[in-house]
Amino acid sequence: MRPASASARRARPLLGTFVEISADGASPAAVHRAIDAAFDAVTRIHRLMSVHDAGSDLSRLNRAERERATTLHPWTRAVLRAALELHTASGGLFDVTAGGAPAPGGGGPGFELLGRGRARRTRPGVTIDLGGIAKGFAVDRAVRVLRSHGAARGLVNAGGDLVAFGAPGTLVAIRDPRRPGRALARVVVENAALASSGGGAATIVDPWPAAPRPAILGATVTAPSCLLADALTKVVMIAGESAGPLLARYGAAALFLGASDQVHVTREWSRTVRRAS
Amino acid sequence: MSDWVRWAAPPAIVVSIAAPSHATQYLTVEQAERLAFPAATRFVESHVVFKPSDVAEIERRSGERVRTRGQQVWRAFANDQPIGFLIVDYVIGKHLVIDYAVALGPDGSVLRVEIMEYRESYGGEIASRGWLEQFVGKTSRDSLEVDRDIRNISGATLSSHHVTEGIKRVLAFYETCLR
Repeated sequence: MRPASASARRARPLLGTFVEISADGASPAAVHRAIDAAFDAVTRIHRLMSVHDAGSDLSRLNRAERERATTLHPWTRAVLRAALELHTASGGLFDVTAGGAPAPGGGGPGFELLGRGRARRTRPGVTIDLGGIAKGFAVDRAVRVLRSHGAARGLVNAGGDLVAFGAPGTLVAIRDPRRPGRALARVVVENAALASSGGGAATIVDPWPAAPRPAILGATVTAPSCLLADALTKVVMIAGESAGPLLARYGAAALFLGASDQVHVTREWSRTVRRAS
Repeated sequence: MSDWVRWAAPPAIVVSIAAPSHATQYLTVEQAERLAFPAATRFVESHVVFKPSDVAEIERRSGERVRTRGQQVWRAFANDQPIGFLIVDYVIGKHLVIDYAVALGPDGSVLRVEIMEYRESYGGEIASRGWLEQFVGKTSRDSLEVDRDIRNISGATLSSHHVTEGIKRVLAFYETCLR
């Protein structure tokens, strides 16, 4: 690989936030080509999975009569497939659906994937919102595009859901959900993903609100992929420390701010994360 | 599971230096021009000064207040053929200023929106789970509503709100003065 001699950093309003992409490369032109292509991928995901765009895959799926199959782009299916897997793995805590009649026995995920690129909703009144996972998927895709264009180092940051690849890593401040603009902790992200929820930035709906839950103000997860990090923050926001086995299963680590102003950090990660003073 | 370690969080009242005031420059006008119109052989800069009737018309079309006396526009040409416009605009929120460039095709459709620079009093705050409405392919005849089409950016509502308003105003400016 040729040594990187150029780098650039750009931002566009996408995915409900400013998506920032930086990368290095052999020349300024090569770097901008890579970043353009990465933004193209993010834009495409935005169009496929926006709930506000009537023509998006997701809107078509949500509009189709229940049990009618809708043909979807492979990327939309990939995100739905990941959502199904995480739904099962988390015992139903990770849930991309809203509304719908409560079904006996939890009712399953509320949708299913069918053959020939299709999917359908399976519960009356249910709608799907991929806001809790598609941003992570978009970051992962953008990183793939940058790498395929020869970038050895880069960062894709969609409003705090980010991946840093190459060395050296990037120092990231984890926002204190009680104090906008201040850090709870700092961590170097290197060839890893980081995502956060909470701090007024998210409303996580507990599928079983009657269950006793810890009060959690904000959660941050590092994981091998941003999709996983993004999705797992939602589980940690609901389950707190009992999300430990699920995090371990996916090679992820987490910290969250609980009630009584305690920061809970998974043990191994606590050796890396720097406490803010 | 006991594989969690617990720390006392820093007291909420402590002033920390973790996220100092923040400014990021992404692109210059020249870079934004070349990226948006790689085929262009020439850019012609002009400053369109609004007539009072323009201001009224832009405000009517966009529903947004016009706070400037004009707008900077770069017209892109490829061998004397007009291929689009780059309109550089800024929005001001309570805590931030965002300079951004909207590239329009010759028909006024949005080709891309690039952030050129933002300066805010606390950095990295623009976090959201909402979805900004897709600007690409929008024209001024499509409505852009912060609350209906675009979910507010929680924790940094000003950012999405003001950029959205700005793009509506830029599209109305196109309809009024450039079309």
